[in-house]
Amino acid sequence: MANIAAQRIKREFKEVIKSEEVAKCAIKLELLNDSYTELKGEIAGPPDTPYEGGNFVLEIRVPETYPFNPPKVRFITKIWHPNISSVTGAICLDILKDQWAAAMTLRTVLLSLQALLSAAEPDDPQDAVVARQYKENLEMFKLTAKHWTNVYAGGPFVNSDCDDKIKRLIDMGIEEHQARVALSSYNWVLERATEQLFS
Amino acid sequence: MASSSSTEHTVKDNAGDGAQNPETKEEDKKDDSMFECNICLDTARDAVVSMCGHLFCWPCLHQWLETRPNRQVCPVCKAAISKEKVVPLYGRGSSKQEDPREKVPPRPAGQRTEQEPGNSFSGFGFGDNTFHMSFGIGAFPFGFFTSTFNIGDQRPHAAPQGTQQHMEEQFLSKIFLWLAIVFLTWLLMA
Repeated sequence: MANIAAQRIKREFKEVIKSEEVAKCAIKLELLNDSYTELKGEIAGPPDTPYEGGNFVLEIRVPETYPFNPPKVRFITKIWHPNISSVTGAICLDILKDQWAAAMTLRTVLLSLQALLSAAEPDDPQDAVVARQYKENLEMFKLTAKHWTNVYAGGPFVNSDCDDKIKRLIDMGIEEHQARVALSSYNWVLERATEQLFS
Repeated sequence: MASSSSTEHTVKDNAGDGAQNPETKEEDKKDDSMFECNICLDTARDAVVSMCGHLFCWPCLHQWLETRPNRQVCPVCKAAISKEKVVPLYGRGSSKQEDPREKVPPRPAGQRTEQEPGNSFSGFGFGDNTFHMSFGIGAFPFGFFTSTFNIGDQRPHAAPQGTQQHMEEQFLSKIFLWLAIVFLTWLLMA
């Protein structure tokens, strides 16, 4: 059965390369091995979202039973989103689980993920901390997501306030990413983040 | 001047020809992709069409339905489908050899109904309980006398013979018949 999976990925790969989304630089797909089981995807952050201007890299693993079972996809680029784990990059999206259909392709998966970035589902979260922030303090969520996009995905929006606070924690001997996570989780209140880090 | 313009023409024509050829090839490809299985993306083998109109290889669709026995949906549009309710496509050039190593059961056969014979009138339906006669008495002064014949009218079928309901219905209908006779005679006398 591995045969049908490889055959299909081969065809899909061609389809993606020719697609207009690639021409518009909205999605990208790269093969990582000759057996068509591991690929690297890339999606552009959709406009008018905190992810605008960022490029998000995805790890795609194609199971032997593909296309009868969905590909395993996770974010390699760190991202602040209610449905994506800020720690592992694991994605909570129905079509990658029980709502998968055999006619879906890597192209539609990448486009669905892009759509997920513009329409979060905080009621079905993967990252509870992010989802809570999204529901309780949307502005704070947007600021944090923008900052993460800037730092990890090459987004254009620099937030000097965030950078300053992280620097102060680094000066206290905290690792940068750890400091960012703590501050992001506590709405960028330096005291609470420090408290949590040293408790 | 004239000669140079004519060469330009020929050059253009050549360029036009060159551009046309790949186009026609692409059109051919498009035509092919019309008959691609929605699962393996190859030209459909043992093609079947779901009730929602989507084309698959039978082995592909069979495996999809086997993979999720409790979620039988069309891989394209997620409409409810089932193995039995697919239409096989028999093209003219289709090969009939079947590989005995295939574990996939044969696709369901096409369903065909014979052409209807010219005389399809099935009578008045006396035989199948569709003839009813009812007789009613209206209390309102203008509705003294109401009777209706319902021919071919759809009504709930009579209760099966021997049951309690059947007996009661028989009894009621006898009472009403007598009532009608009494009423009619009274009308005639008066």
